[in-house]
Amino acid sequence: MMKAYFTDLEAGIVKAINDGNSSHRKLYTLELARLGKRLYSGTDPIAWCGITAPFDLLNAMGVTSCFVEFIGAMLAATGVVGTFIEETDHAGYSSDACSYHRSVCGAAMKGIMPVPEFLIGTTCPCSGGLAVLENLARRFDRKLFVLHVPQEDSAGSVRFLADQMREMAAFVSRITGRKMDGGALRKSVEYSNRASATMREIFELACRVPSPITSRDFSNFGIVMALFFGREEAVTIAESYRNEFKKRIDAGDNGTSGRKFRLLWIQNRIQFRHGLEKMLEEEYGASIISDELNDITWDPIDPENPFDGFARRAISIPINGTTEKRIGHLKKLARQYRIDGAINPCNWGCRQGAGARGLIENGLKEIGLPVLNLDVDCVDSRKFTEGQLRTRLEAFMEMLDNREPLWQS
Amino acid sequence: MKADRREEMKTEEIMNQNGGAIGFACAYTPLPLIHAAGFAPCRILPNVDCPDQAGRLLHDNLCPHVKRILDRAMSGMIPDLKGMVFMNSCDSMRRLHDAWKTVMPDMNAVLIDLPAVSIGASLGFFRDELDRLSQTLEQWGGKAIDDAALAGSIGLYDRIASLFTALREKAGRSDLEGGWTTLQKAYNRASVSPPEESIAFLETLFLREGADIRRGEPGVPVYLFGNMLPEPEAFSLFESCGAQIVADDLCTGSRLFAAVETTGNHKLLGLAAGILQRPACARTFREESPGRLGDDVAAGAIRAGARGVIGYTAKFCDPYIARLPGVREVLKRKGIPFLLLEGDCTLRSVGQQKTRIEAFIEMMR
Repeated sequence: MMKAYFTDLEAGIVKAINDGNSSHRKLYTLELARLGKRLYSGTDPIAWCGITAPFDLLNAMGVTSCFVEFIGAMLAATGVVGTFIEETDHAGYSSDACSYHRSVCGAAMKGIMPVPEFLIGTTCPCSGGLAVLENLARRFDRKLFVLHVPQEDSAGSVRFLADQMREMAAFVSRITGRKMDGGALRKSVEYSNRASATMREIFELACRVPSPITSRDFSNFGIVMALFFGREEAVTIAESYRNEFKKRIDAGDNGTSGRKFRLLWIQNRIQFRHGLEKMLEEEYGASIISDELNDITWDPIDPENPFDGFARRAISIPINGTTEKRIGHLKKLARQYRIDGAINPCNWGCRQGAGARGLIENGLKEIGLPVLNLDVDCVDSRKFTEGQLRTRLEAFMEMLDNREPLWQS
Repeated sequence: MKADRREEMKTEEIMNQNGGAIGFACAYTPLPLIHAAGFAPCRILPNVDCPDQAGRLLHDNLCPHVKRILDRAMSGMIPDLKGMVFMNSCDSMRRLHDAWKTVMPDMNAVLIDLPAVSIGASLGFFRDELDRLSQTLEQWGGKAIDDAALAGSIGLYDRIASLFTALREKAGRSDLEGGWTTLQKAYNRASVSPPEESIAFLETLFLREGADIRRGEPGVPVYLFGNMLPEPEAFSLFESCGAQIVADDLCTGSRLFAAVETTGNHKLLGLAAGILQRPACARTFREESPGRLGDDVAAGAIRAGARGVIGYTAKFCDPYIARLPGVREVLKRKGIPFLLLEGDCTLRSVGQQKTRIEAFIEMMR
């Protein structure tokens, strides 16, 4: 089912591009489809991972790797997630758990998760994600390697994580029989650095007033780009985004005419089809121009000694560490993007993300930024109450409309 | 206020009159280290009646253990602590640390990282974290910790662990006056008392040996595992339903007072290894045998001679939520009946499930 889905998706996009209908978003989706196709090819060595695994390292070692939440998001996007979540209900999984993880477990139980060569668990971002990888390792009877991502950004933490990543590379070699090729690793790091540098440019362009981007442009962008790190596609996609935004700026096209409000989306987007972003843009001239996870929080990685850089990158991401650090990052984004209001979907079941909603709301209030806390299950569309959410968003937008602008023009 | 709680508050007062108390919330907290620094470790238990306010800072779907501890802080119902030590055991505990700093901005607080697996580099990293904690405790007014002091404190806590082992055996034989209810009261008292006082108190429980050997129809032997169940009356409830608890593996029970087996000369490394390698809660596992929790629960039940297993977990606890289906599967395969209860660390949440517990026990008779 998934293999056919990704194959059809790839074919459809390739046809559209060949017909002269190319776009930055199409290139991004095309590579997503190709990644999905590789995962389900049955020929590539694959690894299921946690979100903060060093995908460029795994790509350099010839392993097609992916965080498991990607499958949850894909099942949600295709509208079939309910079947898989129900499977976990029958097996005794609590409905209080994160739906990304429940859907992945359901997919494994129903046999639509390809059996990996091995698994890489990461302690960041969440306890639930690591537990799912442990479960999958048992189900598939495959070896699991766990990367403990320390909370503190210190020299000791970097050394500890870098050493674990070296051990991880040795673990991968033992399983796949492929030795680490120094040249391939250097090239991989160079691709990651080029992609990251271009992503910085993209985010700077998005900060412009008016911003050249629409709500859809950045949906899942930062988190998914990590999967392409170490591959040329990452550079291609990033450059295509940059070129598109430059073109829009040069053409004086800021996306939606008459747009007024600049919104910040906290953590993940809603993964299934819904009409809220369209409603915000069309009825209120409001666009999500920044997402919490769309940022480059690390320095370029040294291709000659990449492990410390890989470690610093994993430790630096905003959802690792204290909520204080996270709030600091959100404040930075709010200032850079001149944000009018923030929306926190508070994905049900996400202790890491939604857990701190009151702290985040209070923290952003310190700079005068209003936050709308929703209660959404970002994966399980069966629980989606669009009407109620629409009312909350409408009230929030009316409130923003009646406020003095937060930032001086 | 309940009598037990009054007793705990009294103990907390005693601690404050001595070297001062350091609060903690998680069973992975290195109690000997805190004691070696001259402080008395004092667990902030969730079973205190106070207004529900934590939702202002933490989402409704967060662990009730964590939220009740925050409720205590927000209501001013905590002892006068010199500081609070949090372990990075799960997402909720991290969020508690974050919220605590907001609610108690003038109180010392530290978050100590805790590896999810206990092999290789993790031990060295955890040792470094314990070293950071010892330095932090010194900054908070504690003594510099040397190996001799640490060895002495580890010895005290190992003595507590061995006393509890003996008490559990007595309770398992129905030889302990008050049964598992008495044992849970002892766990609670020891978790808020200096170790010297805990040892003295626990030793008095042995003086009453044979005073109240239970007669009549024996209960059905049950193994109890999970996380936070500090209410002693909950154990009375289990027993009133016909269960005879023969062993436990709970954060508020045996897991907090497990012996730390230190080897070698480096005491801090030994403490790190001892903590990581003792009976694990769901959040700590072995890479080489993933999904082992079910096997461990089954082994614990068989070893204790239990005919059934009751799991009690706080709602929204991800480490357990994700692993319970695996536990269920293993127990089913081994033919061991299993009842899972979820609650909010209060007696009320267990009491509501009395009929289920009775039916479960009846089924095994």
